[in-house]
This record gives sequence, structure tokens and C-alpha cells, in this order.
Amino acid sequence: MERGTDSATKYVNVKSLVDSETSVVPKTSSKAKNRMRKWKLFGEGMIYLFPAFLILGIFLFYPMIKTLYYSLFITNPRGETVVFVGLENFLTLMQSASFQNSMIQTFKFVLYTVPTGVFLALFLALIANEKVRGIEFFRVIFSSTLGVSVAAGASIWLFMFHPSLGVLNNLLQVFGLDSIGWLTSGEWALISVSITTVWMGIGFNFIIFLGGLQNISQELYESALIDGAGYFARLFKITIPLLSPTLFFVVTVTLINSFQSFGQIHILTGGGPNEATNLIVYSIYKEAFEFSRFGTASAQAIILFLFILLVTIIQFKVGEKKVHYQ
Amino acid sequence: MKIVMKRTVLFMVGMVLLMVLVACGNSSSAVQKTEDGRIIVDFWYALGGNLGEAVEGMVNDFNESQSDIQVNAVYQGSYEESLTQLRQLAGTDDAPAVVQVFEVGTKYMIESGYIEPVQTFINEDNFDLSLLEENILSYYQVDGQLYSMPFNTSNAIMVYNKDMFREVGLDPENPPATFSEVRDAAKKISDYYGSSVDGFSVITNGWFTEQMIANQGGLYVDNDNGRSGEPTQALINGEEGQRWFQWLYDMKSDSSLGDYGRAWDDHRAAFLGETVAMYLDSTASLAGTVTNAEFEVGTAFLPTADGMDPQGVIVGGASIWMMTDIPKEVQEAAWEFMKFTSKPEVQAKWAASTGYFPITKEAYEHEVLINTYEEYPQFLTAVEQLQNTTLTAATQGALIGVFPEARERVVNAVESLYGGTDPIEAINRANEEINTELENYRRANQ
Amino acid sequence: MIKKLITYMLLIISSLIIFFPVLFALLASFLTPSQLSRGQYIPTSMSLDSYISVFQDVPLLKFLFNSFIVSSTVTIGQLLLCSLAAFAIVFIPFKGRNVVFFMFISTLLIPWEAVMIPNFITIINFNWLNSYLALTVPFITTAFGIFLLRQHYKMIPKELHESAQMDGCSNFRFYWSFALPLSVPMLSALAIYAFLTTWNMYLWPLLVTSNNDARTVQIGVRMMISQESATSWNTIMAGVIIILIPTLLILIIGIKQLRQGLMSGSLKG
Repeated sequence: MERGTDSATKYVNVKSLVDSETSVVPKTSSKAKNRMRKWKLFGEGMIYLFPAFLILGIFLFYPMIKTLYYSLFITNPRGETVVFVGLENFLTLMQSASFQNSMIQTFKFVLYTVPTGVFLALFLALIANEKVRGIEFFRVIFSSTLGVSVAAGASIWLFMFHPSLGVLNNLLQVFGLDSIGWLTSGEWALISVSITTVWMGIGFNFIIFLGGLQNISQELYESALIDGAGYFARLFKITIPLLSPTLFFVVTVTLINSFQSFGQIHILTGGGPNEATNLIVYSIYKEAFEFSRFGTASAQAIILFLFILLVTIIQFKVGEKKVHYQ
Repeated sequence: MKIVMKRTVLFMVGMVLLMVLVACGNSSSAVQKTEDGRIIVDFWYALGGNLGEAVEGMVNDFNESQSDIQVNAVYQGSYEESLTQLRQLAGTDDAPAVVQVFEVGTKYMIESGYIEPVQTFINEDNFDLSLLEENILSYYQVDGQLYSMPFNTSNAIMVYNKDMFREVGLDPENPPATFSEVRDAAKKISDYYGSSVDGFSVITNGWFTEQMIANQGGLYVDNDNGRSGEPTQALINGEEGQRWFQWLYDMKSDSSLGDYGRAWDDHRAAFLGETVAMYLDSTASLAGTVTNAEFEVGTAFLPTADGMDPQGVIVGGASIWMMTDIPKEVQEAAWEFMKFTSKPEVQAKWAASTGYFPITKEAYEHEVLINTYEEYPQFLTAVEQLQNTTLTAATQGALIGVFPEARERVVNAVESLYGGTDPIEAINRANEEINTELENYRRANQ
Repeated sequence: MIKKLITYMLLIISSLIIFFPVLFALLASFLTPSQLSRGQYIPTSMSLDSYISVFQDVPLLKFLFNSFIVSSTVTIGQLLLCSLAAFAIVFIPFKGRNVVFFMFISTLLIPWEAVMIPNFITIINFNWLNSYLALTVPFITTAFGIFLLRQHYKMIPKELHESAQMDGCSNFRFYWSFALPLSVPMLSALAIYAFLTTWNMYLWPLLVTSNNDARTVQIGVRMMISQESATSWNTIMAGVIIILIPTLLILIIGIKQLRQGLMSGSLKG
């Protein structure tokens, strides 16, 4: 997981962030003194903020502009810009069969991973929210995949998917079924990568869902019980509506994570077979670091950035209206 | 309050200074030495498993053989990963002094500007090139110049399970030699064992396509495989390439060809686990396969198209390159190491512990190699196959700047064929894509 | 009663499925290569051979050490720099702090993958390849951390700050003696989160490490796969289990703080 992937960071409700602060500065008699004081405060504030500014400036703001800049150029392998080509890189990408395929596969991948990932985690959170003995143990188990790194997780699945030694194909053999080319067949590879991704994401989603469930007031359930509502009635009438902010958050995070998947592809398939798992970040990586074409790679990076921006905007616009808040 | 503020300021300034210092501190490109004064030569290699152990062994032998130079061998993943890493780091202080690059990277490396031709040192040192195998030299020499030192060379052979052959009633001492013979044998095996065993498999790597085209006498690109001029057209969709693709497609349709993907080890594991009866592999890992198999392993020449004499194979493998951005002193130390690797006794040990050919003719006379060939006659198949090769532009191998990219296209084509695409359509598309790559490369290097 | 039974059944089946891959890796690490190739998955004896050979074949201790240094540095850096920045935004009433805060928050929209190419070039220009600096410095501040702590600081009563100022307590002193101690739960959530995500980084270390000087365990595992997958999957699984232990332990210990931290970071905004 990269910085960008630690997706809790992605969802911040900006609207409520900035509220007017009441000043704690006592009023002073003279204007000059006041101005002095203001500058001093500004200076002091900047000292505290400077290191953070420096880091974010060098490693996020500057490179973002630089990426945009690169995307308008053809570059040589040393990363120097050679020819200004305007939007040609973007046009080439749009026409490239390989990039089109990469986009299609990325969307398919999102479609495979997001709904399954969210529903499985929700299901686990629901059963782990029951108050029974030893529940903490199960909660730890369900959260455990958050502690599994992409390299470790993908390595385990690589072994499980192994064509002749893997446990999955061995199981199929036991039942007398044909073995499956989990990672080698064009039909299965994306599904296998999706399974791995869903599994790795469950821990995080589970934790968030469980937290959301525990925030729902017990009284609502008690009064529903008095009204004689059954389990599923309570689930759909109380739990799901009240959980909708959490649900929405998890969907957004999983969506953004999906777009950013890299490690599992690098380890499991290398983008193959026949580019079936060449998702966008992998495609950027290959273009930039295998073929040394920073220009077109940056153009792809800009497209990725726009997608994530779009998801975030939709989340704000739609999310604010449709989601039921407590 | 003021004191605290001063302290905070000092702390911040200190941090920035620290960052700047560290940033600038280690930017010297001086000669690196060990504590006891040996020149350090960083060497990147790309062979894993027992092959990697053999490389480490060779490097240790070198370090123990003298006291001025310390070669640090660093494993960088597969050939492709290692070349990717090199492309990223070439020109920085973190680039190695010596790097192993696969044979198809030859032209790219020559034109990259990263490297110092070893010919410089051969001339200075009067190194006798006639000690090396001609057909290996003929691959790596470009316009009479040797740019890199051949390191590990192998070729492709067919490996098969003799016990399984016996079981299904095939002659284990007379392996199939043509496309249709192999197809029939594979079908027979698959029919006998049912779905649990695949008759045949090929590692999904562009190398085998190159070998199969050359073995039929076909060229990969025009201008004599790029040897007499900059290649302009890919030729892989000629009849030679089409026959090879059609053959794979037919066996896949017979359900007698197993698809174990791009990883070499996965095919080897399947063969050792007796889920594949015949497969095409490099001789490189033969030592490992023969010793680990719990059955009798047979080896055969690469199959060829029906009614055609095999033309022979291209020398595969890798060579070691010297980088140009390093101090002269380190280059000279690196050259010492390169000379060491080509010594007959070193090559004999290397060949015996891996399955690669020795690059030095004299190595065949060393006892350790003679003994190995006696113990494992399977190794001789590859030696014979190489000796039977008629040296033509086809078997000399292609020189293409975008060869690594071309391989990727071919691999995609084979995978789409396995996925059910018409074989001729698949190879035509790969050919077109390689043409585009060739054109881009020409434009970028004008 | 029946409901409890069903709950337990669901819990047990789900845990088995979720935990199966890790369990399977654990089993496989105790097997021999020949048992694996025969598809025999239940170890007959507890053979620790693969654990011994994984330490011999790859410099796993060095990788673990690197990962530990990198993750700890990033964690400490984030705690320090994010808390300082958040403190200034909440407690130092200078003009333009809302703009500053907006700028910080806007970096949340930038995916790391979109800036990795220029960053890679920056690292080369700084000559930071194969050093801890490349793996730590870019990550010692995150907008997420600043945001999380800002939310928390705002819950510290203003009166506390005012009266401290009246008593002549400097801002820095207030930061050190009040703001930090009062946000220990939030700081620990951030610490756990920072440590886990740094430990698990993959793409960036892949780019900026080419030898064992700073290579982290994640890349070590990747290298191990290409080096060992010919015969010794048991060794690879042993390596995987070893690198899982630290993060799983941290997760088990810190799960409560993490849950609270993530919840407030994600929803109470």
C-alpha cells in the first residue's frame, strides 16, 4: 500500500472542515502593535507548518505539476523532456488498443472487487456485532487481513493458484474436476487477481463497518423488538439506513483502492496473460519504468488522477443528498 | 517564549540542513574500497535458484583467487526485471559496474550509451578471442566488435519423461522429432492419462518462438535479421512462424497442451510433478531437473516442421556488460573479473553445475565437465544440437533494439492463441505490433 | 438458542475461510518440497528446516531490520510533523490558516501513483536511491494525519489554552505539555496506521531500492519468489509467515485504538 492507497485518508468531508474560528487574540489598543502581533503570529504559525509544507510541497504538489508537464512532452530515457507535443500523448492513448484494453480491464476489475468486497465485509461485521462469548477472537480474525501486506498476501495466493502444486487445483482434482489455469488463462486471471484483492481488503472494510454498527443506538433496536420486528426487518429498516454513511465511505475507499491496485498484479500475473490484468497503475509502471516513456506514462497518471477526482466529487455531491445521516 | 521559539527555529533549520547534507553528502563517484583496500565491483546478475548459487560460487572463487578486487554479486530478479532496474538506474551512482543482460538486449545495450565495449580491453590486453566458441562469438559480435563478454549460453531442447513414454507404449529411446510426431505422442499420452496429465507444454516466452523460427531457417526481421542493417520489417509471420503457431493451436485444440504460463519454474514443477510428459526448456536448468526428477529424464532435439531438416538453434543466454560511467580503475578491476569468468577451468565448473555450455573450447577437456557429461548424457543433446547448427543469418539470431518489447508482443500473441484466437491472426497482429515498435525505435534514434 | 448456534456456525465458517490462506501458508512452511509436490498438506512432523534455510538463502534479517527502521522513522516523523502542523492550525490564530488547511487537505486527492514518476527523478537527483531517506522522507507528513489531529485538538477546550497563555505558558510549551499528552489515543491510532501502511508499502520500495542496503521485506519476498520458486515453496511460505508476524501482532494489540481512530477520521469529519 502506498500513501495514496491508505484510503482512510481519502475521505474527508471538506465542507465541515473549515469553520470559523473564534479569535483568542486579546484586543490591543494600538493598530501598529496589532499588526506586529499579527505578523509574529503568522511567523510562529509558519514555523510549525514549515516541515509539513516542505514535504508535501516537494513530494506531492511539485510532482503533480511536473506530471502534468511531462504528459505534454515526449521524454528520453533520462527523464528529460525532448519534444513538446501538446495533447498528442492523450490522443495516442485514446487510440491505443492496449490502453483501451487496460481501461476496460480496470473497470471490470472494479466491478468484480468493489461490490463483493463491500458485501462480504458487511456480512462479517453483522455477524461479528452479535454479543456472544469469544466474539473478540472472531473480530481479530476478520480484521487480520489488514495486517497482511500486499507482498505477503499475493505470495500466498500465488502459491495457492499454482498450476500443478497449488491447493486449489489439487482440490479440484480430488473432486474429479479439470484443473483451472487460475493465472494463465485469459478468462480466469482477472478473477483470480480480484479474489486476492477482495481478500486483502476485507480487514479494513470490516473494521470500519463494525465501528459503524456499534455507533447505532441500542434503543432503536429495543423499541423495534417491542414492535415485534424480525431480524431482517430490523436489518433493512434500521441497520442499513443508519449505516449508510459508513457504507458510502467504504464503497468510496474500496473503489479508489481498486483503481490503485499494483502489488498483487506485479506478483501474480505481471499484467498477463495477453494483458488481461494490465490495470491502469500497472500500465503506468510498465510504460514509465520498463519502456522509459515518461510522457505517455504521465498522461496515464493524469487520467488516473482525474478518475479519482471524479469519484471523490461524486461522493460529495451524491453522498450528501442520498445518504441518511443520524 | 522567545527562547522556546528560538529553539524551535533552530530545530527546523537543523532539520533542513540535515536533509541537504545527506542529500549532497554521498554524491561522490569515487572508487569504493573495502576495509582491506580491495576495489569494489558491483555485479548484477539475473539467475535464480541453483543457477544463482552457481553465479555466487563463481564470484566467491574469484574473490578468493586474488586480493585486490572484491566483486559484490547482487541478484536483481529475472532478466526482464533486471533490465528494467538497469534502465532506471543507469547513469546514477547506484548503477553497477558489471551487469548481466540477456542476449536479446544486446543491440539495445550497444546503442544505449551506458556501456563500455569490452573490445577496448580486449585490444589493450591482447586477449585471445579465438579461445572462445565461434558460434557464441558470432552471436555477440556486431560489425567485428565484441561489446560484452559472453557469460551463460544455452539452447532450447525438448525434455521428456521416459517412464511415462514406456507406460503409454511410446519408445523412450526414440523421441518424436517433427511437429506431427510430437502432436501424436502428446495426444497419446493425454488420452492415456486423462485430464490429469498434459502431453506437452512450452514455457510462454518469446525465446521459443525465436528458436522455432530459426530452426526452420526463417528470419525474425529483415536485413539479414538486422545484422546487415537496421531492421525495418518484422518477418515472424512468415510460413515458419505460422507453422509454429498453428502447431501450438492444434495441440491446444487436442487438449494435449498444458498452459502453465510465463514462469519457467512452473513448467519445471509440472514436469517434475509428472503432470506434463514433454516440454521445451532451456538446457540451463537441466542439472536441476535431472537430479530432482524421481523418474528417468530424456532429452531430444527441438522438434521441426514435417519433412524438414532442422537448421539448428540460436545461442541463447546472456552476456556481461561493463558500464561506462564508472572510474577507470573500477573498469579495469571489472575486466579482471570478466577474464576470470572465461577461464577454461571456471567455465568447466560452471557448465557442470548448471547445464550451460562452456564459452571456452578448452573447458570441454576439463575433468569435471567430462565426468558430468558421462554421468548425465542428457547434457550432450544440447552440445550436439549446437554443433549440428549451420551458421546462417537465421541461426545467428536477430539484432533488434526493441527486442525485449518484441518478445513481450510475441508472448501476448501466444497467450491470445491459447485463449482461442486464430493462430494466423495472432501472429499477424504481433508482427504488426513489432513493426510499430521498430518504427518508433528508428525515429527515436535518428 | 438456535440463533446463537447459527451465529457461531457462521462465525466459525467465515473465520476458516478468511484465515485459510494464512493457515495454509503456515502449514506449507512446515512441509518438505517433496510433500508439497505430492499434494500432502498435513505436516507429519514439525520440520523447521524451511525457517532455517530462509534465513540462510536471503538476508531476511537485514530486510526486517530495514523495514523496521523505515516504518519507525515514518511513524515518528508523522506523529511529530503532523501534530505540529495541526497544532498551528488550531491554536495559533494567524491569518490564512484556513487556506493552509485547505491546501493540506487537497493533497488527499493526489494518488501517490500519479506523482511517482517525478518523485523517482527527484530521488535520483537527491542521490537518495538505496537509502532510508528515499523510503522515509516523502512519507513523514500526511494530510490524513494533520486532519485527524486537527479534529482532535479542536475538542481540547479553548479555555485551557487561554488560561495557559495567561500563566505565561508559550505555545510550544502548551503543545508539548498539554496538546500532545491529551491526544495520546489519537496519536496511537495514527502511529499504528502509519506503521502498518509503511511496513506494507510495495511499489515505491520496488522503484528506489536495487540492492540490500535499504530493501524492505516486501521486496525481499518478491525477490525470494523469483529466486526460490523452482523447488522451495515451503521456504517462501516460511518467509511470508515471518514477515506477517510483526504486523499481525501490532494489529491484534492495537485494534481498538485503530478502530476508534479510523472511525473518527472517516466519519466524524
